[in-house]
Amino acid sequence: MSENEIDILLVDDSPDDVELTLHALRTENLANRIFVARDGEEAMDFLFCTGPHAQRSFDRPPKLVLLDLKLPKIDGLQVLREVKGDARTKNVCVVLMTSSREERDMVSAYNLGANSYLQKPVDFDQFRKMVKLAGLYWLVVNRPPLSNVVPHPAGQVK
Amino acid sequence: MKSMHDLLIVDDNPADIALAREALIACAYKGQVNSVGDGAEALAYLCRRGNYADAVKPDLVLLDLNLPKRDGLAVLAAMKANPELRRIPVVIFSTSQLSTDISRSYELGANCYVSKPGNLTEFFSMMKSIEEFWFGSVSLPPRGE
Amino acid sequence: MSSPATQLVKPASAEPKTQLRALLVEDSEADAELVLRALRKNDFDVSAVIVQDEAGFARALRTHCPEIVLADYNLPDWKGMEALNVLRRQDLDIPMILVSGALGDVTAVECIKQGATDYVLKDGLARLPEVVRRALRDKYERGLRHQAEKDLAKKADELARSNADLEQFAYVASHDLQEPLRMVAAYTQLLSERYKGKLDENADKFIGYASEGAIRMQVLIHDLLAFSRVGRAEASYSTVDCNEVLEEVRQTLASAIAECAAIVAHTDLPAIWADRTQMTQVFQNLIGNALKFRGKEAPEIFVHAEKAGQQWVFSVKDNGIGIAPEFAENIFVVFQRLHARTEYPGNGIGLAICKKIVQRYGGRIWVESQAGRGSTFKFTLPLQGPQAKEEAHQ
Repeated sequence: MSENEIDILLVDDSPDDVELTLHALRTENLANRIFVARDGEEAMDFLFCTGPHAQRSFDRPPKLVLLDLKLPKIDGLQVLREVKGDARTKNVCVVLMTSSREERDMVSAYNLGANSYLQKPVDFDQFRKMVKLAGLYWLVVNRPPLSNVVPHPAGQVK
Repeated sequence: MKSMHDLLIVDDNPADIALAREALIACAYKGQVNSVGDGAEALAYLCRRGNYADAVKPDLVLLDLNLPKRDGLAVLAAMKANPELRRIPVVIFSTSQLSTDISRSYELGANCYVSKPGNLTEFFSMMKSIEEFWFGSVSLPPRGE
Repeated sequence: MSSPATQLVKPASAEPKTQLRALLVEDSEADAELVLRALRKNDFDVSAVIVQDEAGFARALRTHCPEIVLADYNLPDWKGMEALNVLRRQDLDIPMILVSGALGDVTAVECIKQGATDYVLKDGLARLPEVVRRALRDKYERGLRHQAEKDLAKKADELARSNADLEQFAYVASHDLQEPLRMVAAYTQLLSERYKGKLDENADKFIGYASEGAIRMQVLIHDLLAFSRVGRAEASYSTVDCNEVLEEVRQTLASAIAECAAIVAHTDLPAIWADRTQMTQVFQNLIGNALKFRGKEAPEIFVHAEKAGQQWVFSVKDNGIGIAPEFAENIFVVFQRLHARTEYPGNGIGLAICKKIVQRYGGRIWVESQAGRGSTFKFTLPLQGPQAKEEAHQ
């Protein structure tokens, strides 16, 4: 599976939540190509095509990023800020999916340009339903932006 | 207890607005639906100017692109540039399938882009998906002042 | 505006006295006189100017506007052949006849190679009138041909522009038609659902007709758009493996294939230099049709390709309802389905699109079929593909 053909980037450090999310997405046949990043740094590497993900290219972004807020190394809001603040990545659909109930987290997220914000239900079943609905919405209903070809600051298209 | 949802539809085609309303009724949407027919009206409504002094800030905006007076992208840009409006999710709801329109919408901060389907069944099903996701799953930002 | 020197001269006919403006390059009065007499004796009404050098020649070209130049080969201050250079420099298509004393055959041929129209010896002036007539006639015919070519180019240009206009029109019309049509289709369907059985008995029927009409129109316009796009879009050529294309088509039509338990098989198909999308369209239309126009048995569709001279011949064979020979040409005509004659639903444009695509590649498409006996659709594509040479270095 080429690193460039990822449908969903799932950024979450909770193994249980990751498990549940993957299961929900797979049973709905929504996405085969899911990449899991366990911390903010890996998410950044992935989206900005650096470090271990230097082979990736900016013009094949994931169709959807499911992003948790509380992450090791670099937290979700920071990732969001960077992604939405850079012309090469700002069009990527980023959906926050978090257990945080803080209103200010939500407001910040929307202000930073999060495409939408989901609060993880405590109930497993509800959680699954939410993931399924989100997956369906962002992968089927939504029209994602197409090739995101923006010149690399160094002058070359990556 | 959460207050009723409020949806603003911005579309210059009254037939499409009526269709959207029918679709929302069909999927048991219990919230409010308001509509305006052009870009200038949309911004007046959102900024509560003139006739719209008593308008309620919507929880979600369904925005068509081809609008008279100020087109959809201009409305979008204005919304996302305004600190009081930028957090309101905007769903572009347009017949255009041009990749330039889609890209441009995302660049200006649209939350998502949905193509208006050509046939009734799909239209209804599309509205249902929108309603279910945005009013069923999503945590919407507080309306604020 | 053409200068008099390049105007067409009617060839000498049975009419007496052909008018002729001649420019003689000759230093001997006597020789000039002989030349003029030879012409005048033969029904030429010559008005002549005689010059001996380049300056005089150039001046006379301007003032006399000759229709023919008669030049001596050897002059004290000039060479007759030099006159050709002057004519060429001024881009004048005036026949030049060398009139000379002894001129070796080799020299004569050389002169003609260098552009002299003909040559006549001074002691063979009897030939001169005929030579002149022939020269003038040739020039006239050249003029006609040139004019015809210009007309043809102009017509081709107009045709191209007209085609472009038509395609543009088709695109715009179908694009702009989609909006109001969407309204009609949606609301007739809504009426149909909402008021079924609630109005009088005719209402359901009427609304049904309106609704079906609208939906059919939507399909037609969608197809019209697709058809006009074949002309508009830039094709992007690459090496296309037709086996892969066929697999893709098989996947796209998977549910239709499963529904009628069809078998779609193919021999090893070639890789060709083509636009992948267009090739996919062609195969998808042909196989889709084979599925649609099936007979009572499960469809068996067989795709084959073979080389025939400088082209590939592809064939798509089915065991469906077949086509009576008298309709074999019609089915490729765009909009034939507007006068829908069959009870099979769907686009009337699929084959027209195939034809348009195949023709753009320089191929042809046809069907071999009998009613009730299945059909074999065949199309050819040049071996090298379109513009293969120019684009080979991408």
